[in-house]
Amino acid sequence: MAAITLDILLPRKFKFIIAMVSILGSLFAFLPIIFQFANYTTPEIMFEGSYVIDKFSLILKGLFILVTYLTFLLSVNFVESDEYYQGEYYFLLLSSLLGALVVTSSRDLLTMFIGIELASTPMFLLSGWKKGDQKSNEGSIKFFLLGVLSASLILYGFSLLYGVTGKLVFSDIANILIQQDLAQSPVALLSAILILAGIGFKISIVPFHSWAPDTYEGAPLPVTAYLSVSSKATGFVALIILMSKIFFESGDGLGIVLVFISGITMFVGNLSALQQTNPVRLLAYSSIAQAGFILAPIAVANITNNFEDGVYASVTYLIIYAFMNIGAFLVINLLQRNIDSENMYDWGGLAKETPLAGIFAVIFFFSLAGIPPLGGWFAKFVVFRSLLSTGEIFGLSLAIVGAINAVIGLVYYSRISKIIWMDSPKEDVQKTENSIIPSPLKVVGFVSLILTIVSGIFPGIFSNLGEASSIFFNS
Amino acid sequence: MESGLGLTIVVFLPLVSAIFIFLIPKKQEMLIKLVTLGSALLTFGVSLIVALQFDFYNAGDLQLGTKVSWISSINSNYEIGIDGISLPLLLLSTFISVLAIIYSFEHLPEPKNAKGMMSLILILETGMNGTFVALDLILFFVFFELVLLPMYFMIGIWGDKTVRSVSGLKNDIETRLYASIKFFVFTLFGSAFMLLGFLGLYFRGNRTFSIPELIELGSSGAFTGTFATLVFAVLFLGFAVKVPMWPLHTWLPDAHTAAPTVGSVLLAAILLKLGSYGFVRIALPILPEQAVAWAPAIAVLSAIGIIYGSLACLAQTDLKRLIAFSSVGHMGFVMLGISSLTSIGINAAMIGMVAHGIITGLLFFVSGSMAHTYHTRDMGRLGGNMKLLPKTGAILAFTAMASLGLPGLAGFWGEFMALLGAYNPLPGLNITIFRSSMVAGAIGTVLTAGYLLWMLQRVNLGEPKEEWLDKELHDADNYELVAWIPLVILTVLIGVFPKLIFGATNDAVIALVSKAFGG
Repeated sequence: MAAITLDILLPRKFKFIIAMVSILGSLFAFLPIIFQFANYTTPEIMFEGSYVIDKFSLILKGLFILVTYLTFLLSVNFVESDEYYQGEYYFLLLSSLLGALVVTSSRDLLTMFIGIELASTPMFLLSGWKKGDQKSNEGSIKFFLLGVLSASLILYGFSLLYGVTGKLVFSDIANILIQQDLAQSPVALLSAILILAGIGFKISIVPFHSWAPDTYEGAPLPVTAYLSVSSKATGFVALIILMSKIFFESGDGLGIVLVFISGITMFVGNLSALQQTNPVRLLAYSSIAQAGFILAPIAVANITNNFEDGVYASVTYLIIYAFMNIGAFLVINLLQRNIDSENMYDWGGLAKETPLAGIFAVIFFFSLAGIPPLGGWFAKFVVFRSLLSTGEIFGLSLAIVGAINAVIGLVYYSRISKIIWMDSPKEDVQKTENSIIPSPLKVVGFVSLILTIVSGIFPGIFSNLGEASSIFFNS
Repeated sequence: MESGLGLTIVVFLPLVSAIFIFLIPKKQEMLIKLVTLGSALLTFGVSLIVALQFDFYNAGDLQLGTKVSWISSINSNYEIGIDGISLPLLLLSTFISVLAIIYSFEHLPEPKNAKGMMSLILILETGMNGTFVALDLILFFVFFELVLLPMYFMIGIWGDKTVRSVSGLKNDIETRLYASIKFFVFTLFGSAFMLLGFLGLYFRGNRTFSIPELIELGSSGAFTGTFATLVFAVLFLGFAVKVPMWPLHTWLPDAHTAAPTVGSVLLAAILLKLGSYGFVRIALPILPEQAVAWAPAIAVLSAIGIIYGSLACLAQTDLKRLIAFSSVGHMGFVMLGISSLTSIGINAAMIGMVAHGIITGLLFFVSGSMAHTYHTRDMGRLGGNMKLLPKTGAILAFTAMASLGLPGLAGFWGEFMALLGAYNPLPGLNITIFRSSMVAGAIGTVLTAGYLLWMLQRVNLGEPKEEWLDKELHDADNYELVAWIPLVILTVLIGVFPKLIFGATNDAVIALVSKAFGG
């Protein structure tokens, strides 16, 4: 118990303290998670079932803390290079982390809503952190307006649930829904749709994705990385919990909607990414497409009611995706340090000057494309596996859509490697002087690199985490 | 269970060396080259030791392997082993890698960067060797895909920089860039679906990815109906792209033409075999019923490939493109042999694969070297090569003869026996289709002889063109000869003693055929 409290309170204590403390703090916060995990016996249930600590939540807490840690390292040079408010920057990121940590354990409507909002509200501010920049302001306003809309949708959905059942805790709600034969009633479905729409903004699935490219483009790069990894994962965690704890009896309709959304998200994300010249927008659309992949197992699980396989696949995908995507943003950061351009075609032949960034680019982008032996292949593989596990038609069709999309993805994921390794340098491009890679960025690079490669060659390690989370989650 | 140590070394030593090479500073080029060569030689040496340990009296059994848990949550294991079918291909792979590295000592195209090239060759070798020893579908898949990245970069970085227009693209594009991504996308398209097929087998086959276990299940009739048809279709897609079979072959001429010499050699000699090996190792024994159902279609496609490949060759002016299309034809013979589903046909395919690897590998070595010397591959400008570069010319002439299937040389057996197999396919198969395919194949051999002799006439014979007379042209140097002569010797040896290959493959093939098709 003490460890949990510490784990949650720790980040908050570091208000207004310099970067180093935040970084170390987030690293220390990792320790209780490990101890908890090592001594794990049974789920700990607190506050009458509102707050549960099981393997699922522990693993995802670990993921969130590690991702935040890497984001801090990415940020150090960024925040120092401009005269921004350092203290606030770290505080806001830590608050968002706290929200994400709460979501993983929340098992009632209120706790979850607070968690979701705590995780996303700081991001409105952070995405507009480049104050003088028009794009940054535009992106953050868009993000804010849609974010508020999504919060209200979620709240509306939650209030419908509460109104029907009079309960807050998920298991009670589910019991009442089933007992009174309301699981497939219009009210329950309406609230499911509202919640789905609200969370859809957070995880940027079609048709709720339009804010993502603009916000990603405008926000500072470390914030974008955090948005595309941690914020997205928070949304997915909330979705996984809600779908499997409340809406598991809601009939096939909801699942079929999700299947279609998942397939369309892949296509829209990938086909739009094909046309991008701005690397950040490319990654934005790529992360939309990846959201389609993460959603796919949950969607099919909703039809087959086999949440074990679905959660296993989604969590494994989330873990691997987190590291390779952070790596991909790091690559863009590194390359922009050499040639400050928003058109990636200006980076021709850059790998010769920063071979390390070149190698990072190959590893992370091809991992996103799912090429063995890099981690991404296993993430895609478990998704395909869960889609095909029941052999019914929706899973099969979605798997075929996924396979086609994997090929489309390759075309644009390979593009940056092609440009920096194979193209010849452009003559009219201004090069900057600071070509030395700062050590925090190197740490981010190597940590993500090792995790990406290890998860590809020995996927057992990560898939055991995914499996553990799915099994204990259902107990 | 044995330790599988030898095979593990053969697979992973190159990869470990590649990582080691990453750590050597770029400037110490000689050290990099020597480490690479040493590692490849050692790998080849270990593969020879493995071959010596191999029990040829039980060549049908999987030997010298091991099985260790790898991804426990999906029940996928590190399961490896070799039998008479994989052994010759494994040796071919380790051997050609050594030669490719020797050749690269002095013949790196722009931008030199020996460090990059050497580490890519080594990573590629791990992928190739791994595919031939993997006995777990997921392991197989990982190795099968591992070859893509190195080959993509080999073509893309060291490839042909000529700018060409491509229909469907707005702007002109350098050959290497177009060819590399086309190669990548085609193969990934095939293998993405192949992976779905593997998963299908896994769920219907008691959740196992083990190839031997799935073969047991398959031959006892566990996979039937629409399910089996679908799975065979996706496996076919995955392997046929790699072979490549007509009409999925279009990436091959581009990739070969654009690739640097070493890339073409490894692509032709080993990478294409991964596809046909996949048919023999996975598709036929696990889904025998479907193999019977699909065999006529495969035979017809192979026959079309043979004729199409030879006719396309007759239309080429580019020397490397001609050899690339000849690969389509030769792999057509291999697939025709496999489609007959008889022990003669599959044996023909096995020796055909090895022979094609040696002969076409050599052809690409020689043509690549000539392209480097003359700075052109246009056969209209070449001519009188025998007089200008006597050594290179002699080897080109010899190899062309071997490639057209001259009796006494290695290429003969694959073609001849494939036709024999197609004449007398597995009982129950449509005899008309197979005999027509055989006739088409026979016409193909004539056409093959036609285009190769014509090529020789245009390139090797006659008087040198004026533009070459006052230029100083270098004939094959020692590095090249060291890389080429062993292949010449092997061509003759296998031609005269085909038992070198059949001794290993025959028992394994008979075991496969009798288990799967009862014939």
